Amino acid sequence: MALPVSADATAAAPVRSVSARHFVRLKLRVMGNSFRGQGWRIAMFIGGALLGLWFAASGFFLFAAPGLTGNGEYAVLVAAAGGGLLVLGWLLLPLVFFGVDETLDPARFALLPLPRRTLVTGLFVAALISVPVLAVLIASSGLVLTAWSLGGWSAGLVAVLGVLAGLLLCVAASRAVTSAFATMLRSRRVRDLAAVLLAVTAALLGPLQIFGLAALREADWARLTGVATVIGWTPLGAPWTAGIDVAEGRVWAAPVKLLITVVALGALLAWWSRSLESAMVGAASAGKAPARRGVAGGAVAQLFPRVAGWARRDRFGALVAREARYWWRDARRRANLITVAVVGIFVPVMINVTGGDFAAMGEEGFTAAASDSSPVVVTLSMVFVGVLAAVTLANQFGFDGSAYAANVVAGVPGRVELRARMTAFSLYVLPMLAVVAVALSVLFGKPGWIGLTIGSLVATYGAGLAVNSLVSVLGAYSLPETSNPFAMNSGAGLAKGLLTVLAMLASTVAAVPMVVAAALLGDAWLWLALPVGAGYGLGAALLGAYLAGDVLDRRQPELLATVTPRR
Amino acid sequence: MTVEHPALALRGLAKRFDGTIAVAGVDLDVPAGSFYGLLGPNGAGKTTTLSMAVGLLRPDAGLAQVLGHDVWQDPVTAKRLLGVMPDGVRLFDRLTGAELLAYNGLLRGMDPAVVDQRAAELLDVLALGDADRTLVVDYSAGMKKKIGLACALLHGPRVLVLDEPFEAVDPVSAALIRDILTRYAAGGGTVVFSSHVMEVVERLCSHVAILADGTIKRVGTLDEVRGDRSLEQVFVEVVGGRTATGEELSWLSR
Repeated sequence: MALPVSADATAAAPVRSVSARHFVRLKLRVMGNSFRGQGWRIAMFIGGALLGLWFAASGFFLFAAPGLTGNGEYAVLVAAAGGGLLVLGWLLLPLVFFGVDETLDPARFALLPLPRRTLVTGLFVAALISVPVLAVLIASSGLVLTAWSLGGWSAGLVAVLGVLAGLLLCVAASRAVTSAFATMLRSRRVRDLAAVLLAVTAALLGPLQIFGLAALREADWARLTGVATVIGWTPLGAPWTAGIDVAEGRVWAAPVKLLITVVALGALLAWWSRSLESAMVGAASAGKAPARRGVAGGAVAQLFPRVAGWARRDRFGALVAREARYWWRDARRRANLITVAVVGIFVPVMINVTGGDFAAMGEEGFTAAASDSSPVVVTLSMVFVGVLAAVTLANQFGFDGSAYAANVVAGVPGRVELRARMTAFSLYVLPMLAVVAVALSVLFGKPGWIGLTIGSLVATYGAGLAVNSLVSVLGAYSLPETSNPFAMNSGAGLAKGLLTVLAMLASTVAAVPMVVAAALLGDAWLWLALPVGAGYGLGAALLGAYLAGDVLDRRQPELLATVTPRR
Repeated sequence: MTVEHPALALRGLAKRFDGTIAVAGVDLDVPAGSFYGLLGPNGAGKTTTLSMAVGLLRPDAGLAQVLGHDVWQDPVTAKRLLGVMPDGVRLFDRLTGAELLAYNGLLRGMDPAVVDQRAAELLDVLALGDADRTLVVDYSAGMKKKIGLACALLHGPRVLVLDEPFEAVDPVSAALIRDILTRYAAGGGTVVFSSHVMEVVERLCSHVAILADGTIKRVGTLDEVRGDRSLEQVFVEVVGGRTATGEELSWLSR
């Protein structure tokens, strides 16, 4: 029974087209609403923005240096290397450390009748509304200044185009890559493959930095400029160097480089668009998990994985077993664990190889460099690894989200809770740390240093656990309940960054005695480091659990409220 | 001690979120052995009230006692007596059903052998036995409710507090949950649950309280509250809902 009025209504109201403008307004509105009545969030946002501005300003002067000094010799080098690092940073850092801002979760658009092109464009433009993008824009405008002062207004104009295109490239790259990885990690079939790929990607950071440091030390600037010229012809450097090319008289190169950028941008957006579909259907497409071959026997026997099989079947044991299972089964936690493993292995190698000897590098210089590495440098690198491993727990309750209610309802004492969480994480991390320590000592041909490396690692790790359990109780924040393990709430990225830095600083301070001892005690320390370090680490961790457990007992409900995502 | 103490006693519980009052002073006495239904429209403050009653949310004012033990002063004893199924809260859903039960049992300090035996029985009775190798995250909504109930029942609590136990549950599972709850109450346990499904409340409850706008509007035994009318009529009258539309929404029919 069609009423005439309804027929008229549909005919009279043509569907108005949705444009990127709507997405931008939506994002601004969502961001604004998330600040409402949350003073600390606003403070955090402003703090982060100031930090971003500071970085932006330093980047600006770096990029503008060739122009300001009027010395065009290194212009290509600065543009290609700096710009390339920017793109790589946007590509890798969200995967490894920061996650991506999912203020606009693609899954929310699944039911809307939007063409894919509109959706991708809209989300892309909305992604441009962020502090990091603004910071990069400010920093890279230094390139415009350089091009303009070296080559006049035409070069400056091309540089503007190049910088804008480069910025788009950065954002597209970060979105495409995180989205693709999220899709893979979500699918239970290729999840393990994705983990390996992620590890390899993160591992790229190591060699890159080695290359960078080596390059800085090379006196042969001409050769470096050659490398920079090559980079300038890849999508990494093309957008940033176009303006310089015009300034230096290679006008023909500018359109080609811009074309390279546009093609790369298009490819990235197409890639993103493809993985976006799976993000939108979300977990529904993940399919059932394969039937798990549990241990035969009762429920209790099934709960305890082999790695926690030694634990007693009581409250502490149950917490350890559940945490141990979660570090493996929860995609978000697993991504963290992999990061620790990869960075933990590559960074110390880097620091020791590059920090030990500033002259010798390369294949033949490797052993020479290693033999010059001192106990202090080794200890420092171990401190870094220990701190990095422990900081994974800085938001350990955020991983649980509202599921933590089960522990509140059961009235788990805070100390038991924290000791169990430390134990479960250590089940994975300690063997990893041991491998790092032994591998490093062997690599340097100094097996006698095994005690030193393990000792400093364990000491730092233990101190870090203590610091981070306190941070995790007091500074917890909620993580979005999406299937993207890299997703962050808007504003939470800054919170996460600040907390991480704070926790790492505090853990480092707590580990200073180990470095001092390494510097002062000489050879005796090589033998003392292991027992002293192990004792120090264990003591610190237990003390941390004791103190933070007390705090946890008093604020269990508040902690639950902070880690529960607002709906 | 149980003779004089109600199973659950709330006195002046109040909570305010960002300037809006969610619960404005709730007083409630749940007699031991009763089957108590907490009724209210969406947003009435049912979940907030129950969360404060079981120690999940710290009240701004007021107190909550379980069989005479204060939930906020003496949480260990009070929580031992309580079995809770919160609503809108995730379970540790990366565990299988059996693992989740074992976790909760051990967390409550139960003997492993008892946990094993009760978990097997619960999984069997709740028809979750076939799925005991499936992660809870892959369970259907009804199965999640059932495993949540199993977790709350496992340690044999004296008072069971359930938030929306019948939401998103199919009729077969709902009947099963009803049976289990009835048996639990018949065995001397006390059940408090929130709902906005009138038929279930009328069928099960001995006592009813109607909560709206953060305060208790009606309270008493089921017969006292509904009088000679149906519970739904009383509820709509108390809550002050709007009925039937006339001219508006005419475009819905075509």
